[in-house]
Amino acid sequence: MVRWSEEKVTGAAPDDSSMAAARKLARPGPWSETGSNDVLVWGKCQGSGKTPYQVSVDLAAPAYRCSCPSRKFPCKHALALLLLWSRGQAADAGAETADFAREWADQRGERAAALERRQTGQQSDPVAQAKRRADRLALMDSGVSDFARWLTDLVRTGLAAARNQPYAWWDAVAARLVDAQLPGLAEQVRAMGSDVHARADWADHLLLHAGRWWALTKAWGMRDQLSPTEFADLRVAVGWAMASADVQGTEALRGPWLVLGAYRTDDGRLQQQRTWLRGPDGTVVVVLDFAAQGQALTAPQLAGAELDTSVARYPGTPPQRAMFTSPVNARGLAQTLGEGCSIAQALESESAAVAVSPWRGRHPVLFGKVRVSPGGHGWLHDSSGDALPLVDAPLDSLLAQTGGHPVDLFGELEEGRVRPLSVVVGQRVVTP
Amino acid sequence: MTWLADLRTSALLGTGRHAAPEPPAELGFRPPEGLSREESLLDQAAMADVATRAARRPGAADSDERPAPAPPDDVPEASGESARLLDLLLNQPPVSQELRRQLVIDWLQLAEGARRRVPHRLLPALLTLADTRPGVAEHLYPAIGARGRWLQDLARHGASGPPSAAGTDWEVLGSADATLELERLRRSDPAAARGLLAGQWDTLGARERAAHLGTFAVNVQPDDEELLELALDDKAKSVREVAANLLERLPGSARAGRMAARLRPLLRIKGVLRKQFEIELPPDPDEASVRDGIPGDPRSGEPDRLGWLETIIRGAPLDVWTAVSGRGPAATLALLENEPRIVAAILEAAVLRADLDWVRALVELRQEPRLLNCLPAVERESALLRHLSSSGRNPLTLVPLLRDQPRPWGQRLADEVLRLITAKNGGQLAAMLADVLPTGLPLEAADECRRLLERSDDDAARRRVLRDVVQYQSFRKSLTEAFR
Repeated sequence: MVRWSEEKVTGAAPDDSSMAAARKLARPGPWSETGSNDVLVWGKCQGSGKTPYQVSVDLAAPAYRCSCPSRKFPCKHALALLLLWSRGQAADAGAETADFAREWADQRGERAAALERRQTGQQSDPVAQAKRRADRLALMDSGVSDFARWLTDLVRTGLAAARNQPYAWWDAVAARLVDAQLPGLAEQVRAMGSDVHARADWADHLLLHAGRWWALTKAWGMRDQLSPTEFADLRVAVGWAMASADVQGTEALRGPWLVLGAYRTDDGRLQQQRTWLRGPDGTVVVVLDFAAQGQALTAPQLAGAELDTSVARYPGTPPQRAMFTSPVNARGLAQTLGEGCSIAQALESESAAVAVSPWRGRHPVLFGKVRVSPGGHGWLHDSSGDALPLVDAPLDSLLAQTGGHPVDLFGELEEGRVRPLSVVVGQRVVTP
Repeated sequence: MTWLADLRTSALLGTGRHAAPEPPAELGFRPPEGLSREESLLDQAAMADVATRAARRPGAADSDERPAPAPPDDVPEASGESARLLDLLLNQPPVSQELRRQLVIDWLQLAEGARRRVPHRLLPALLTLADTRPGVAEHLYPAIGARGRWLQDLARHGASGPPSAAGTDWEVLGSADATLELERLRRSDPAAARGLLAGQWDTLGARERAAHLGTFAVNVQPDDEELLELALDDKAKSVREVAANLLERLPGSARAGRMAARLRPLLRIKGVLRKQFEIELPPDPDEASVRDGIPGDPRSGEPDRLGWLETIIRGAPLDVWTAVSGRGPAATLALLENEPRIVAAILEAAVLRADLDWVRALVELRQEPRLLNCLPAVERESALLRHLSSSGRNPLTLVPLLRDQPRPWGQRLADEVLRLITAKNGGQLAAMLADVLPTGLPLEAADECRRLLERSDDDAARRRVLRDVVQYQSFRKSLTEAFR
């Protein structure tokens, strides 16, 4: 490859101070085992430590690697080596490539090839794709029957005995489910490990969930008889993700979408953000965002905002998961969330939703004219005297904002409790 | 539903020991043949899961339990910049805890002046702050408005335990709690406290009598005299001492009169040109003197006649002195130039009774923080200033007085404090005044602090204090502007 000019080296520097440091190092003294070929420049630079730093530069990409601890990229060593090479003072071509440089180049080459294979293979090789799917299904099948066997063992020895098991016991079951590519189930089992100790109603909670899991193993066994929608719900329950590329291609629903409310969870490993949206025709969807621990979630949409965007829906029963398919622009704030329902109506619609999809445990509800009152974690009342307990509610804030007066409130109904996400107060949608 | 209960029992014990129940006929469900016990139980659990979720009923609301909704707020909400600043102070305070507390108080007062109230959404954070910082609690009204009071009532209602220990239950309290409760009551209703103690007097032990009676130091008044006289006859010396000390604060009491009768014969004015007091030592105390708290003859050693005299001076009204000398307090004190122990005893009496005429005269003579404390705020400031600027004095001893001084300080006092702080070795004083300085210094002094900050200074404590002042004043300025 043509030697770089000194300007080109300077252009690669992250900042002026790196370049200044590199100029000081750009003399043959500290360097050894330098060399270059068509794509690589390499060398060892003696720093203050015992072992010299190993420096390699891939000229084509360009890419840099150095064993020094600097966080600057490229570091002063790489820049100095390039300077020497550009001036013809070191790293002449023809030498045998140093081991460390060749290893690095080989690894990079493999990664690039693998990436290419993945990209082209997915689109162009239906046979391989079908095989991968069959392999996964076989793995999941055996995981599901293993899980069914564990459930029968669980009820034979009794739930009381299970409660005495250490957390690691539940974790081991969850780990097997993860290995069988059933991460959705694994998450539920892991949560149960702490629920049985944390909840007063642990016995009923575990019994009913065991029943739900059992039904799930049965449904999995007869998945060929399920409708595509039913199968999609089942996929979500076991945690078989749908590739977003497959969703992207489906019909996009145009906005404006009204943000009903949003909620974040953080289980220590994964943060999740649920954003509930309602379209012009009343369709309610939920957009899920995920971020691993330490990463940032996308900024939440403001409750009450009207978004100019379109969404594509994942398969499944309503309310469906959705993704944005065009840039999201807020066009204004709504003064109301619309017509809400009573507590009895909300429970009726939950019951209808369970009848359609037994795997789903969370239902978005817009309550109309409900009052928040204190006591325990707080209560929701409507004018007909019905009440529901609140969960995860910032009660002080809800009371301060509503003053105990009737308001419209959007929330998630879960196990007979309401998680309030937004309230309409004085013609404004606010987050408690 | 006994089916669900049976199902739970089988599941808890395990089907190994307890068979699953028969599914209930009314659900119209016939299980397939040949199921194992486990399969039957899990099938039924699945059905129970769906049935439970599909058949959920709302809870019934007990309308008595629900509080009435909040009354309407007729004062408009603080909005815009003022609301933003309060939000900032409550949720991401950019200043130290102490400054934050002060700025929240400033906000509340400015809001009151501008007839604005705290936005509803900020009330929870504000009320939480007021719970932990009592200074804030006093300034919540009327800025928190009707909604804020409603929330406070809710919180009180929710936390209502047995009624306060005041009143009828006082007798059953432990003795330390009873003392505390009595002291609290002395502040609000001294007569009620006296009634409580007098009612129980004969049933109490000596230690309790002394401790309870000690609380009368709060709001001691002529009506207390009867009980105090009774206590002078107490069997226990500790109780008698408490009573005598309390009576010293009542110059109109019978004991003061008796002390005056003992003191007067001992005093004479002598000299023609340079007049002076001639003061005799008292005779051996009789029984009545011992009852009034003048210690009797010691078993060994010389009797402390000067000590007796001091006790008599502390107990007697101060006008005995002016009556004998025929002059005012200042001129009377001038005649006592060579009697430091006598002046010290007079000082004790003047401070105990907060006798302003005597305090004013004494403050010219003695640099005694307790004297300054007795003065009204306006006079105290100039006296304080004199003390601070007198060179021989360690200003650190005046820190408690500076803290009590109403803020902001007058310009001259502020200048003097700043001068002391910025002097060599002023860092320690700065650190001790760190919490009051931002509010003590008037607005104009902040500019001076800003100039001082620009100077190089190695004293980190002093720099921090000066920075706090500047920060406080600039935030305070934003607050004032936001409410304009």
